[in-house]
Amino acid sequence: MGNNLVTVAIFAALAALPLFAGDYWTGQFTYYLIYGLFALSLSLVWGYGGILCLGQAIFFGTGGYLMAIVTKGMIFPDLTNSYLGLLVAITGPALLALALGWFLFAGRGIGGAYLAIVTLAIAVVLERLMSNWYALGGYNGLLDIPPLDIGLFGYSYELWDALPTYYVILAIVVTLFLALNILTRSSFGLVLTALRNHPDRLAFFGFSVLQIKLVVFAASAALAGLSGALFVTVDGFVSPTLIGFSLSTEVLIWVAIGGKEMLLAAFLGALLTRFSEGWLSELFGDFWTLILGLAFMASVVLLPRGLIATPLQALTRRRRPTPPPS
Amino acid sequence: MIEILPPLLDALSYILVLILVALGLMIVFGMMGVINMAHGELFMVGAYVMVVCQSLGLPFLVGVLFSGILVGLLGLLIEAALIRHIYTRTLDTILATWGLSIALKQGIVLIFGPEAQSVISPLSDTVSLGEFSYPLYRLLLMGASIALIGLTFWLFLKTDFGLTARAVIARPDTAATLGINTRSLYRRSFVIGTTLAGIAGALVAPLISVDPQMGLGYLIPGFLSILVGGAGPLAGVLAGGAAVGGTNSLLTVWISPVAAQIAVFIMAILVIRLRPEGLLGGRRGK
Amino acid sequence: MLEISNLNAGYGEVTVLRNFSCRIETGQVTALMGRNGMGKTTLMKSIMGLIPVKSGTIHLNGIQINGKETYKISRAGIGYVPQGREVFEQFTVAENLRLAALGSSLSNLDRLPQIHDWFPILKERHDQKAGTFSGGQQQVLAIARALMTGPEILLLDEPTEGIQPNIVHEISLQLARIARETGLTILVVEQNVDMVRTMADHILFMENGQLADQCSAEELRSDETLIHRYLSI
Repeated sequence: MGNNLVTVAIFAALAALPLFAGDYWTGQFTYYLIYGLFALSLSLVWGYGGILCLGQAIFFGTGGYLMAIVTKGMIFPDLTNSYLGLLVAITGPALLALALGWFLFAGRGIGGAYLAIVTLAIAVVLERLMSNWYALGGYNGLLDIPPLDIGLFGYSYELWDALPTYYVILAIVVTLFLALNILTRSSFGLVLTALRNHPDRLAFFGFSVLQIKLVVFAASAALAGLSGALFVTVDGFVSPTLIGFSLSTEVLIWVAIGGKEMLLAAFLGALLTRFSEGWLSELFGDFWTLILGLAFMASVVLLPRGLIATPLQALTRRRRPTPPPS
Repeated sequence: MIEILPPLLDALSYILVLILVALGLMIVFGMMGVINMAHGELFMVGAYVMVVCQSLGLPFLVGVLFSGILVGLLGLLIEAALIRHIYTRTLDTILATWGLSIALKQGIVLIFGPEAQSVISPLSDTVSLGEFSYPLYRLLLMGASIALIGLTFWLFLKTDFGLTARAVIARPDTAATLGINTRSLYRRSFVIGTTLAGIAGALVAPLISVDPQMGLGYLIPGFLSILVGGAGPLAGVLAGGAAVGGTNSLLTVWISPVAAQIAVFIMAILVIRLRPEGLLGGRRGK
Repeated sequence: MLEISNLNAGYGEVTVLRNFSCRIETGQVTALMGRNGMGKTTLMKSIMGLIPVKSGTIHLNGIQINGKETYKISRAGIGYVPQGREVFEQFTVAENLRLAALGSSLSNLDRLPQIHDWFPILKERHDQKAGTFSGGQQQVLAIARALMTGPEILLLDEPTEGIQPNIVHEISLQLARIARETGLTILVVEQNVDMVRTMADHILFMENGQLADQCSAEELRSDETLIHRYLSI
């Protein structure tokens, strides 16, 4: 129960935010919410699925590029519908994840550290590729991506203003957050726990480990793709940095600092890190990145469950938090 | 025939530097299961130590020496403050050393700024190979790399230190019951790995642009070399480094560097996936 | 003298040893018997510091050794021959022995002639890879390796497991001789009654992580009820 109360309080605060924050911060928090959604996708695949993907931006960037291509009418000039764009930006990365996952996991597939390095290498390669793919803008990326059009039945309503954009994004994030919570608490969540701890025994009970891994990998990629798509409609701009190394690193930091095994903590990890960055980077200047790197390091060593998840669990569960393994 | 000699020599020098970097990674990974994502940044720090030494007017060799010593000391500090706490948590080592790499990179930006620095080659002479001339420094770099690689192999295969180190890799618990201090061995090996990275950085500094991002360009090929090579802790690195580095350099002759890099990464990933035990076969890593 | 009092140890949440106490007298060969899963190997590993002790103490000659790192326990004078031998297969016989000297003290290399005298096969096959050895030969090497560290007390965990009976007898005779000649204290975990009869002075019986009973070698020879009760033979 405690957990739900905290969740409600946080989302209520986010809903009330535009009332007292100005347009600037409302706009910033729109980005933070999208980053939060992206962090949820990594938490799903890493914290719940046990698959450490160091190249999560692969799917974020793919989603962003697909959204840009569709809504800018680069393939079919008449089919620039936002819903179609979102559909493509969700299914595209999911299919990519299925193909990639099948290639990497099937048979005596690779896992653990090997997988981490390979996914990182893929992200670096894709960033390089996009920087040199001139039809897609190359290094400069694609500009003038139209905002989300949430009109229906022939009516058009484009999200140009900060406030409606914020609430639409918030609604999407809340819906998906709740859906993920239900999913991870369902029997599927139980199977995922088993996948993390005893994959061999899972196979023994008649589950296909490959299938479960593919499902969670694709679902996470779909989420990441959606967040990438939302990002480019808000930003109006897509570039190779969205698909590569730095963003993959950033999302990893948010989720590790927040807490990978707890959706709320991963989400808050993204929000708080980005918020502190927007707020403190002026104060600390170039030292901010240094501090972030050290904080990341410290949280991995001292609080492997996460900087936010550890107090959050103590607050919500009313039981002694498990001490980190020494 | 002679016109393919310069690109072949370029390929060879890249391979040798890559092997130096990968050897350090492999010692740490094979022995302790630690994946050091900050290895590229230690290589970078080595190059920056050289920048400082040169600006102080110190001879090149002193710069190489200082790079090895300072980066080795940095390795000692990192081991004592960070790695020691997470030996048994391989995946956490990726994350923690990644945080370290960010911090080191930013530390360099704070001190030197984000722009590239240059190191002047200690030897501007060239050697003539038929109708081509080839920089003498590159040849010396190859010689120095071969010597360092040989020294590392000798250390691990022929000395008492190497015997204990290989015992700890094979059976850490049994080695400890014979009175071997595994922790101290881990520490010394980690320092050897970082020292190699520092020296490699200093040696390559005159040939490349020394900037805060230079580490990543060697880290990922270094890891791919280890995974592609596989097999015994050290021999696999030679095969992997030759495969990854050689393909990359030689492809660059015909296609653009970007296309070459993409091709090499894809090939490496295919090899890792299809032959997880590496080109040389044998036991799969941790 | 090795003295263990109220020892509790195990793996993770599982406690295997429950308030285990015993004394291993100096200069004696003590055998520890009991069925599988009763905690014999756990006891050996806790003495060596390979698994953490939850409570209780282990003293060697009055000095507490539990909580110390394994290599320090080894250097304090405890030699260990693990279950399954665990020789370094990639190393030669000479390298296996040299390794033990490197761990303890290089001056222990002076023991080499003595060890070659006890186990001549190791001299003959000096440069052969340990991985090419039979189980019995590997066992001999593992014992020699532990002796190379110059121990005061030698722990052997099921040295006869998977070894031909004639070699088992040979090894036990040799160990008994070494103990007699050098005054080495031995604690051997064993299920092989023949070996225990050949070399042990004192026998401990273990059940459910506790010391269940003990007797002298003479008592064991005259009365088989303890063997029947604790080994279900």
